[in-house]
Amino acid sequence: MNNLSSTDIDPIKSEVIARYLVATSEEMAATLMRTAFSPNIKERGDCSTAIFDRNGEITALAHRIPMHLGSMVGVVSEVIKRFGISGIQPGDMFMANDPYNGGGTHLPDINVISPVFFDNEIVAFVANIAHHADIGGMVPGSEAAVCTSIFQEGIRIPPVRIMIAGKLNQDLFDVLLLNSRTPEERVGDLKAQIAANHVGVKSVELLFKKYGIIQTELIIKAYLDFTEKRFSEAIKKIPNGTFEATDYIDGDNDGELAKIFAKLTIEDGKLIFDFTTTDRQIKTSRNIPHRAVLATIYTVCQSFLDPSIPANAGYYRTIQTLASLGTIVNPVSPAAVGCRSVSCAVLGDVVASVLTQAMPNKALAGSGPHHLFIFSGTNPKTDSFFVDYETLAGGMGARSNHDGMDAVRVHASGASNLPIEALEHVYPLRVERYELRNYSGGTGEFRGGMGVIRDYRILGDDIVVSLSSERQNQPAAGILGGGHGATGQFIYNPDQPDERKLPSAASEINMPRGSVLRICTPGGGAYGESSDRSDGSKEKDLLERR
Amino acid sequence: MSAILIGIDTGGTFTDVVLCDLSSNYYTYFKLPTSTGKPSQAVLDGIKGILELSNLPSNRVEFLVLGTTLGTNAVLEGKCSNTGMITTTGFGDILELARQRKPHTFNLDILKPTPIVKRDCRMEVSERIDYEGKELLPLNEEEVIQAVAVLRTKNVEAVAICMMHSYANPTHEKRAAEILKEIWPEVYVCVSSEIMPEFREFERFSTTAVNASLMPIMDRYLVEFEAGVVDMGIQIQPRVMQSNGGAVTPKAVRLAPVNTFFSGPSGGVIGAIGLGEQVGIHDLITFDMGGTSTDVCLIKDGVPVKKDLREIAGFPVRTRTIDIHTIGAGGGSIAWVDAGGLLKVGPMSAGAYPGPVAYGRGGTKATVTDANVILGRLNPKSILGGRMEIFPELAKNAIKDHLVPALKVNLERAASGILEIINVNMMGAVRVISIEQGIDARDFTLLAFGGAGPLHAADVALNMGIKHVLIPPRPGLLSAIGLLHADICGDFSVTRLVKADSQNIDYINKGFNELHARGKAWLDSEIGSTSDAQFVWNIDVRYFGQNSELSLPIEDSCLDENKLNLLLEQYHINHTEFYGYAMRDQVIEIVNLRLMVRALRTHPPVERFKSSNTELDKSVVESRQVWFFDYGYVQTKIYERNLLPLNCEFNGPAIIEQMDTTTVVPPQFRVKNDEFGFLHLYL
Repeated sequence: MNNLSSTDIDPIKSEVIARYLVATSEEMAATLMRTAFSPNIKERGDCSTAIFDRNGEITALAHRIPMHLGSMVGVVSEVIKRFGISGIQPGDMFMANDPYNGGGTHLPDINVISPVFFDNEIVAFVANIAHHADIGGMVPGSEAAVCTSIFQEGIRIPPVRIMIAGKLNQDLFDVLLLNSRTPEERVGDLKAQIAANHVGVKSVELLFKKYGIIQTELIIKAYLDFTEKRFSEAIKKIPNGTFEATDYIDGDNDGELAKIFAKLTIEDGKLIFDFTTTDRQIKTSRNIPHRAVLATIYTVCQSFLDPSIPANAGYYRTIQTLASLGTIVNPVSPAAVGCRSVSCAVLGDVVASVLTQAMPNKALAGSGPHHLFIFSGTNPKTDSFFVDYETLAGGMGARSNHDGMDAVRVHASGASNLPIEALEHVYPLRVERYELRNYSGGTGEFRGGMGVIRDYRILGDDIVVSLSSERQNQPAAGILGGGHGATGQFIYNPDQPDERKLPSAASEINMPRGSVLRICTPGGGAYGESSDRSDGSKEKDLLERR
Repeated sequence: MSAILIGIDTGGTFTDVVLCDLSSNYYTYFKLPTSTGKPSQAVLDGIKGILELSNLPSNRVEFLVLGTTLGTNAVLEGKCSNTGMITTTGFGDILELARQRKPHTFNLDILKPTPIVKRDCRMEVSERIDYEGKELLPLNEEEVIQAVAVLRTKNVEAVAICMMHSYANPTHEKRAAEILKEIWPEVYVCVSSEIMPEFREFERFSTTAVNASLMPIMDRYLVEFEAGVVDMGIQIQPRVMQSNGGAVTPKAVRLAPVNTFFSGPSGGVIGAIGLGEQVGIHDLITFDMGGTSTDVCLIKDGVPVKKDLREIAGFPVRTRTIDIHTIGAGGGSIAWVDAGGLLKVGPMSAGAYPGPVAYGRGGTKATVTDANVILGRLNPKSILGGRMEIFPELAKNAIKDHLVPALKVNLERAASGILEIINVNMMGAVRVISIEQGIDARDFTLLAFGGAGPLHAADVALNMGIKHVLIPPRPGLLSAIGLLHADICGDFSVTRLVKADSQNIDYINKGFNELHARGKAWLDSEIGSTSDAQFVWNIDVRYFGQNSELSLPIEDSCLDENKLNLLLEQYHINHTEFYGYAMRDQVIEIVNLRLMVRALRTHPPVERFKSSNTELDKSVVESRQVWFFDYGYVQTKIYERNLLPLNCEFNGPAIIEQMDTTTVVPPQFRVKNDEFGFLHLYL
């Protein structure tokens, strides 16, 4: 093996094997989505599947949600570190969810990892990640901006064996189930995750059987090199230079801000993101764990440089990230991280801002992140406890050549909404309004995307709501003279005498029967001066109230 | 006087017409370019042409069925009619809010599609129904009248009426439609609770809006088509193929043009089922590879997998379709080298024009077809039975100039690499559709058709361990032939979102009665009677809390406690079979009730190939060097398919050429030409 280098590899074989691995990861995803129980995985596809080489480098990834792009980086190495290669036997399967210990980017994402054996040695790993709707913690849905420690966010699982030599580790399974408010769903979803890995292991074994260990590994290594080269070529088209950007997430108390600062250095086909002067980690769960930072950076870089590049460790190598331990973008345990997907939208804007300076023709203004709200209480129709976890999209920032998209999840976040006719059927809530939020996008040559407005009327007696958001204080910035997007708002009983603004993050606010919660999500920033907007677009804005 | 059957398949480039004369079981085929001007012209010219060619009188035509891409193309090309909407106050933007996702995860320049109904044409009126169908706020009729007045000023041709929870109580929608029709009788109207009375507002509104916008276009087209058919002296009512594989009258299509989105490819699948019946094979995977795309579909026990939600040009459309999985790769897919140095094939295509380099029509980028020419698989002199000259040198130069230097491999390796990559893509598609259905593809027969299907099928089968490949006599015409096999078939559904317990039985049965009435009325208008029709009932069920359903067959449309219990038991069993587990303590919920009405037709006999030749050697037209995986170049016999004796067997390697396609038989396969002239390739 040492005599051959990956540069001697046939680029065609390499593509063929890569396609095979991607197809395998797609098969795993199809299995996972087909057999999963909860709507979050089945319908929204909040899951990803991947294949790793024996060293834990990602070689193929079928992702539905960009947040998962970096979620599995380093996961296999954690397993190897903990168990040692010799401590892993065929039929073992590992599970982890702790962002600080081999898990994903927040506790509800559970990773399940399997070794692939061939000729009595480990030749690869397969893994999948799925978002579980509840894994315990202080709030239903296991996500709330007000959590001040990861211990409040749910059960923490380091890499442990869920299957031992092909047999389910029922004891562990039972511990997990007892910790969830919705154990039936967990059973179905975890079984689906196990089934997906079985499919992946079988398929990867076949590949090694066809080409042999030496040849297969060499070709996979070459494939990563080819991908690295491709991304590196894209970076080389941008002149070397250094760019800086600053933006703010909300702090621990209403009105406080916490700074994210990035310096991007572009140097001969490499990107270096340096966050070292970003603020220290905060108490509440807006902190962004390392893998979520990677996911966001990979997502935005891919969008700017090469949207169709295959996701694997090859292109990850061209991107270096520096972040001091104990900061918002590299928190240490027990910092709470549950709401990282909202803060990641702001981080995404910071990354987009430095790339915009480097690549003005791909410019992207600031975006309005989704707002997150969780209703819970007793459903008077069924007398049972319910948890309604929902996200409502904001608006995307404008680009240098078109308006920002209205009402979309931005950057690395991506789950879809729940149909109103479905939610009214199962929860004691009535939606009285669900529309684009007029004029919420920044104005400019190209306007920012519009946010959304939605009113919920409460139809139960003990209902509470938990709220999480960003950009209620710091708007999505416009660029080159473009206006900022409107900030978001939570409003209690709008247009009533007792109307009041609710905090941007809160837990378990009482919502009496008949009261209304209005959610207004933030719009995106604009690009360029309003005076440069085309007459046709101005006319359409007027006619369509945009 | 014996009947004539005619099928017309309108494709993007060509329209194929097939005629079967039942008195002689003789088939006639006719091909003409699809006109770009008046869309009905090629269809009418085709019918006239084939009647002249076969020298048969038009009054003997007893069944005429059209596969059309008119609706699909109008949506894909953004040429829908100007459409308005009347909806519930507070919900005017449902069409735009969609699922709140970017269309592409990473490419931010792929924007959300422009909604079918523009924002200023979406009128809100006060009214509200709740999820149980209870009226919370009466319909404000004055506001409806005002909305109509505004829409008239906007020059819309069609109006979609879409109100919240109308599947549970359609009275507000119906009343709004009445008012609309009364004051504006000439406008086209589509009501959401009539076209698709199922819950999930975005999908229902989208389906309704897309349908409304196509009604004027489809109506104008059908007026011309029907008039032309009458002018020719054809006395029966023509029919149109729907996405569900059933043929219906123009009247039904005018009301629901969305049902034609997969009209053409459905013909291929229905044709495949018909052929399978003939040769006794009922578990099939269809592999229809053309110039720009490839369609695959799974058929189990003679029944194609169906799907209820499709997306077209980014718009979800909820309508029952045969589950045809399309990948954007075909014979015309272009090979290129990415910045990292890897060989890629597609998704760009050389299209119909200029097409592959080897066609000599100015194409410069090497395609899959060019690789097949260079490797001796496609005839290097001419194709289409000698009608089209081939220029292999041009193809070689294209690969030498654009691919060889970047890949640092020789010509042969570059060309074979293109095939290897396209085949692995095809394999991925077949694997995904099998895994989605939880079946092992190796137990199925791969039925190859389309211009390029038989060129690649055996390699795909070889890679996947599929042991049997079947190639029908006329692979290029299967979609048109399939139209002749269409039954009369309509699908109906209604949402009944309730717990599956005995106190809801009356409510569920009322839903069945509604469906029965709708199905019966439809049949009356389609075939004038219900005597021979089958009523097939299904009920969509899920565990409470789940978001996707399994559809279970039930015997009749009258549920009682006993039948309900049997149904629930069956659900646990099916869930275990399909998903690997059951949750017996979980509450079960009814979601939708479904009815398929079907009037079976007598299907025409499959055309038998005749061969005057009885000696295999006489069907060998030449011998040339052909490249095969794992073997490289092998001196290979080239057979003329028309000359192959029936009931003969021989071993690969072989190339079998015919007018509309070329079949590649790798050395690992044995070939059998059966008594009907079907080619079987056995691994």
